[in-house]
Amino acid sequence: MVMGNVENLLLLLVSLPLFGAAVSYALGLRARVLSGPLATLTVAVCFGIAIYLTTELMVGSSIQREAIVASFGSWLSVGNVTLSFDLYFDALSAVMCLVITGIGALIHLYSIQYMASDEGVARYFGFLNLFVFSMLLLVLGKNLPVVFIGWEGVGLCSYLLIGFWYKKTEFVLAGQKAFVMNRLGDLGFIIAMAALFTTTGTLDIVELTSPESLARIGEGVALLAGLALFFAATGKSAQFPLFTWLPDAMAGPTPVSALIHAATMVTAGIYLTGRMHPVLELSPQVLSVITWTGVITAFVAATVALVQNDIKKVLAYSTVSQLGFMFIAVGCGCYSVALFHVVTHAFFKACLFLSAGSVIYGCHHEQDMRRMGGLRKSMPITAATYAVACLAIAGIAPFAGYFSKHAIIDSLAHNSNVYLAPFQGGLQIVVTLIAVMTAGYMARSFFMTFMGSYRGEATPHEVPVIMWGPVVVLAILSCIGGWLLHDTLFSFLDAVVRTPLFILQHQSLTSYVTGSLPGVLGIVLAYSLLVRVVSLTEKFQSWGWMVQKLWERKYYLDELYDVVVVNPLRITGRFLAVGVSQGLVEGFGRGVAFFVQALGELARRTTTGLVGGYALYMLLAIAVLIGILV
Amino acid sequence: MMISAIVFGSIAVAAALGVVLMRNPLYSAFSLVVNLLSVAAVYASLDAHFLAVSQVVVYAGAIMVLVLFVLMLLNLKDESEAPRGWLKITVASCGALLLFSSILPVILPAVETLHGDSVSGEGQLVEGSVLAIGRLLYSEYVPQFELSSLVLLVGVVGAVMLTRKQSSDPSPREGGLLGGGKS
Amino acid sequence: MSVYGLCIILSLALFLIGAVGVCVRRNAIVVFMCIELMLNAVNIAFVAFSRLHGGLDGQVAVFFVMVIAAAESAVGLAIILSVFRSFISVETSDVSELKW
Repeated sequence: MVMGNVENLLLLLVSLPLFGAAVSYALGLRARVLSGPLATLTVAVCFGIAIYLTTELMVGSSIQREAIVASFGSWLSVGNVTLSFDLYFDALSAVMCLVITGIGALIHLYSIQYMASDEGVARYFGFLNLFVFSMLLLVLGKNLPVVFIGWEGVGLCSYLLIGFWYKKTEFVLAGQKAFVMNRLGDLGFIIAMAALFTTTGTLDIVELTSPESLARIGEGVALLAGLALFFAATGKSAQFPLFTWLPDAMAGPTPVSALIHAATMVTAGIYLTGRMHPVLELSPQVLSVITWTGVITAFVAATVALVQNDIKKVLAYSTVSQLGFMFIAVGCGCYSVALFHVVTHAFFKACLFLSAGSVIYGCHHEQDMRRMGGLRKSMPITAATYAVACLAIAGIAPFAGYFSKHAIIDSLAHNSNVYLAPFQGGLQIVVTLIAVMTAGYMARSFFMTFMGSYRGEATPHEVPVIMWGPVVVLAILSCIGGWLLHDTLFSFLDAVVRTPLFILQHQSLTSYVTGSLPGVLGIVLAYSLLVRVVSLTEKFQSWGWMVQKLWERKYYLDELYDVVVVNPLRITGRFLAVGVSQGLVEGFGRGVAFFVQALGELARRTTTGLVGGYALYMLLAIAVLIGILV
Repeated sequence: MMISAIVFGSIAVAAALGVVLMRNPLYSAFSLVVNLLSVAAVYASLDAHFLAVSQVVVYAGAIMVLVLFVLMLLNLKDESEAPRGWLKITVASCGALLLFSSILPVILPAVETLHGDSVSGEGQLVEGSVLAIGRLLYSEYVPQFELSSLVLLVGVVGAVMLTRKQSSDPSPREGGLLGGGKS
Repeated sequence: MSVYGLCIILSLALFLIGAVGVCVRRNAIVVFMCIELMLNAVNIAFVAFSRLHGGLDGQVAVFFVMVIAAAESAVGLAIILSVFRSFISVETSDVSELKW
């Protein structure tokens, strides 16, 4: 394959972070101070390359070429099936790449200071760069196995970074939980690949989504493959019922939570469904399941977020809830809307997490909001950025979140899915209610953290400029990003995923006002409930401890897993361990071991440890060898 | 030529047996000196005069002095109290004899045929003089020659490094083979 | 039998005597001397073949073997010295750390 500059740049875009990961990790031996700047530089260069490649795709506002394809060469060929390690850069990948490298670079920059005093800083940046590499591979893979490598790679990096402080058992367990739940989802990915491959004979995404292959997929297979794909997305994007790993994943360093568990990795599920949307669209049932799951997740997570006291846990549940919003849009067939929310969500959620990180850093690793308060005086910049991001996520008019959230509610209203249409009114009410709750819990966290008076012991202080700088950039993006990108993004994405017409309609001032109402309502409610009482929790205790208990225990989902999945596995495991393993396998093993031991006892006699003895063996062996040869 | 080869060859073998059989290391060392000198004589009888001189200077001179120096320095008792490992000696000798009897029938006829062959360059009778060897060393074998100087240098540095006395060395067992690691 | 055959027999004999010595002697210095013996045996073969072929390359090889032997003796004796310093013995039976 003849490749020009652009293709080589695409290959470079993927390989650079891998190289950066190796070098930053290796720097830990001698100059770990350098590993942070180096890793940051690598991702920043990647961002530059991504921008250049995007301009190659699009000149002005018209699409110049559909996609850039580059190849690392052939990977494996079995029978008449060949898989090549191809990269595919189109509008969808471009948006994801820009988010990954752009937000990634800012978070790397932030991490330099945040992790400066940590011993494992080189390990941290190595993993972080490895994550960027895997994520780029995920969104750039041209065929499903390549995507799967990235898919597994981000899971691995997530596991490594959640358990970054591996000396604490609960952190390691959180990492394991995330990994295992992701594996459950990966099962779906593999099933989907198998189902699609057996019917179409190809794993290449472009070929797979071509009309000819789609025509070959039967109704049953479409249902199976669609559900399996969505199940994979459920695991990675923390949707009901596989979402409990994400709040636990907050054990990792806060910038990791910002990059992996808010801005990029968890949106991999959205990307996958967007990429494979022609397959999903073959069966409306799958689409309705996606929307229903999204609504349930968004609702459940929002209610749980209302009663959390750990600032990172609030953000984690809010992430789960927002991901639910994205899946609502996916289920309605508005993939570009979902992707738009991915972008804006990346802005404001990364901003929120990094602000929370600054708070934690400034309060000397305090995460409980009950021991914060009044921080707007000691940390004015962080307070401002957090406030802006809160307004954005609440969906108040000129901020980024308003545009995407409004578009999602619109797409729910305009969808024509036979399995959704009857419930349309109800769904809209629920979604609006969730929007109110979103504004509510975010406002609650803001008031508890920054307003009132300080309730902790340590002296909070503002963070240095290298930390608030990236946050301010993100805050500006959460401010104007939605308004700025609204039209550009949709027309850009139009080449890959069609954008419904109603989204592009001009927004009037009245729609701004009415659209912001749920957010304003949520903030007002939170304020009126919170100004006098310290926490919503106390309010609940008087009239409904049942509900509160339910919410605090995350709807007993962890316990449900224990009963449904963990215990049966444990019982089977015990049977295998005691009956089969100890009785049969070990009995056999002991016999073999005894035999080997006896032999070894014989052989031990010959190894005297005397040099002369070994020389003698050598002499004899040579004598025998020469005797045989001659 | 033949006569001197036979005479000095027998002396060399006898001295070699002495090296192995003497119980006192000092006697072994002196046997080795005799062996090396007679090998030098064998070289001379084969017209390798430069090597004969080098053998005397390098081996019998330098290396043996070093060995004797170490022997004296350590002031070792002879092995006479320790029982000889007769089994080991028998097995080793049998192995050696086996090798000897299996190699010789192959190699001896080959050498004789080579010798009988008129094509072989024996008629030219090249003399291993200093001049001839020097020419060869400084033309064809310059890189190897230079490398060998490097090997010697490394050997010297290694020897110094190994024998340097440790500054803090409480128990003799602790120091290990790589002395000087701590200083 | 020519002088070359004689030299080959001599070489083989010295080599095997040296090898047996390496195997049966326990004093590290004697073992070291036996190794020198084996090197010398090889040298005799080199010189004999060199003369047989009418070239000097074999003798140059012997020269290099001598250089290596000199370097080896320096390092080898240094090792024996530091072994003695650690174990207060140069008996190979006392330095049997390689056991099992």
